[in-house]
Amino acid sequence: MTALLALVRKELLSLFALPTAYLTLTMVALVTALIFFDHLRIYNQTLFLYATTTMGGFSTDEIPDYINLWDAVFFPVMETLGLTLIGAVPLVTMRVFAEERSRGTDELLVTTGLTPTTIVVGKFAVTFLFVTLMMGVSFVYPATAIARGGLGIEHLAAVFVGLTLYSIALASIGLVCSAFASSQLVAAVSAWAVAFVFWDFAWVYPFVSEGVAGFLDAISLHLRYGSFAEGIVSLSNIVYFGGVVLVAVAAARFSFDLRRVGA
Amino acid sequence: MRGLALTGVIALSFGLGSFYATGHFGVFSAVNLALGSLALLAATVAGVRRIRRIGGPHSRPVILRGALLIVAAFALALVLEQSATRSRIQFDWTGEGRFELSPATLKACGEFDGELTAALYRSEGDPRTRRTRLLLQRLAQFCPLVVRELLLDESPEDEDRYAIGSSNSVVFAIGDRFETVERPTEGAIYEALYRLRSVSNGVVTVLRGEGQGDPERQDDLGYSGLAVALGTEGYRLQVAVSAAITEIPDDSDAVLLISPRRRMRDSTIDALRRYLAKGGRLVALLEPGVESGVESLLAEYGLEALPSVLVDPASGAVEDAAEGLNIVAYNYAEHPASAGLNQNRMTFFPGVRPIAARATRPGDRVMGVVWSSPHAWATDDLSVLEQRSGRVERRDEPQGYRYIMAAGRYPRDGVETRIVVFGDADFASNRYLRALYDLDILINSVHWVVQRESQITLRPKIRDTVQFPLPMQDTLRTLYGVGLLVPELLLIAGGVVWMRRRAA
Repeated sequence: MTALLALVRKELLSLFALPTAYLTLTMVALVTALIFFDHLRIYNQTLFLYATTTMGGFSTDEIPDYINLWDAVFFPVMETLGLTLIGAVPLVTMRVFAEERSRGTDELLVTTGLTPTTIVVGKFAVTFLFVTLMMGVSFVYPATAIARGGLGIEHLAAVFVGLTLYSIALASIGLVCSAFASSQLVAAVSAWAVAFVFWDFAWVYPFVSEGVAGFLDAISLHLRYGSFAEGIVSLSNIVYFGGVVLVAVAAARFSFDLRRVGA
Repeated sequence: MRGLALTGVIALSFGLGSFYATGHFGVFSAVNLALGSLALLAATVAGVRRIRRIGGPHSRPVILRGALLIVAAFALALVLEQSATRSRIQFDWTGEGRFELSPATLKACGEFDGELTAALYRSEGDPRTRRTRLLLQRLAQFCPLVVRELLLDESPEDEDRYAIGSSNSVVFAIGDRFETVERPTEGAIYEALYRLRSVSNGVVTVLRGEGQGDPERQDDLGYSGLAVALGTEGYRLQVAVSAAITEIPDDSDAVLLISPRRRMRDSTIDALRRYLAKGGRLVALLEPGVESGVESLLAEYGLEALPSVLVDPASGAVEDAAEGLNIVAYNYAEHPASAGLNQNRMTFFPGVRPIAARATRPGDRVMGVVWSSPHAWATDDLSVLEQRSGRVERRDEPQGYRYIMAAGRYPRDGVETRIVVFGDADFASNRYLRALYDLDILINSVHWVVQRESQITLRPKIRDTVQFPLPMQDTLRTLYGVGLLVPELLLIAGGVVWMRRRAA
């Protein structure tokens, strides 16, 4: 346990000693703030437009039901952020294993007495802490705006939980890619590609049976985290993201076995 | 091998990217997806060969153990996910309980014997279908419902057959019967399911002609909403002109009397008396300030509609009336008609006359069902009903619980008469029927008087979508104060770290 904590401490220090971490935090927080503000602005303007044309105020039935905070703000923000995070999270994960491997310090790490499982768990934990912080920082503005308006804070919490779990799943994919790659660039590019493939399997449906399509639906990231945008926090979706982490930890652990036998 | 794999995933992601960007497969997508898949396949084969070459007698168990660990992790994740799905545990954080299905909807859905199907007809990219899909999936978790999705463009025959007007329509079908729901909210789905069940609960006779509420009038003052709701619940409404009748029709399972505005004829009151004496059922909605003559008949059954107006300061000023005149009730007795209602499930009664309930014969069971708060009092000054604001001054009237609705069972001569009296009628008008739990207390009262207690339930509420603007100036201030400031500080921190590293 002490060894694991020491590893976590070392990883955290090395992560925040790099400008990349701050750049990623900045990028995600800025993109979230701008996307959220832009959708909020359009939503407000549309509402005012309807209120003016109908002259009935905001409580009339004249405003179409699809113009509401969820459909006009939360859902599109989450969709856009989902794709943005596919680009941003691999920037954080690319160096975690690949850097040590390219420098040869991974072997030094093994000689400290840490088991491969401990190393993998430690590095995953630090990365998860970072992406949670990243989501927390990026949600300060939407949460403040919504809370000040006195609207939908529970719903926003569901969106936050969904995006955080989704980011953790993306980080897991990125870490596996980093564990198998010897270069950071290869790790990042392969993480982007794998995450993009797992984003949604809708493109395959015309070519496969209904059963296969159902299975692909069940493993696609987009559908899983989409229900959070609707305000639904379901145990099965939480477990799904936990499952992605579990498989990723096992796969990253496997990369150490392959190294051991010289593959 | 790695180069091949990298090329494969890049080609695959560009193929997918072009598909998502354009919405269809072009030559670019197809070629990229094909080449990407082939490259990945080749890389996998090369990888497996390499591992087999490496795999000596000592390394094979290591590789095997690692691979098995991945398979085990995948299997465990699958089992856990399936268990979680079966547990149906989910939390609705919409703030308005949008996906929390009401007991009435679940009950309606669970009562079908055959296979019930729900076909969601949609156009590509219609955002409203997301919510409908979730609603149907939630419903399918609790009852044997088969959910299908169909594109409108690909189903022109169904469009005509089921009279589908637009995307995001759901057709519920069982056997050869079907119901089409154009705007599939939970309330609309519930009503469609009820119609599809085609259950007949009996005939309700509505007395008309002496200023009573009109079940065909569709404006705020009418009661057409009540008529539709009773129809949905399986009741056939028949109108009887009270001035012309000598007897209540024999096929009446219940009589509904909505706020007569004039004194009813003695012959009508006598007809009602004879009807009740032979085990009839009556739901009477009586307004304050009107003495129609039915009050004396009700008093014979221990239900006295007092000639005063109830003032309940606990309700405060609601709508366009003096404080306490429009009553928000939250105290209920244990009674089938108020089943499920509690302090959080309130009912709204604008302008109430208090009801006194006391059994007049042994064996009668008479009780108040909906009560005011203990601070309520009754005033004989009916002019307060015209008061649009301010407070109604209490002189020396005593405060205490008062009945807003009362019910009685009268088992006499081998038959059982049942009566429900409300000290208000407006709560059932189109304007207020869907407010809070007004519809539920009224329809459940009808179910109770006709002895269809199994039909008593709480119906889905209309959900208001959040359609209020956030003040723009405030939003802008928050953007500057938090939205831009936080990234700016992070960037400064990153810059400092970068410079310190360079200096080191």
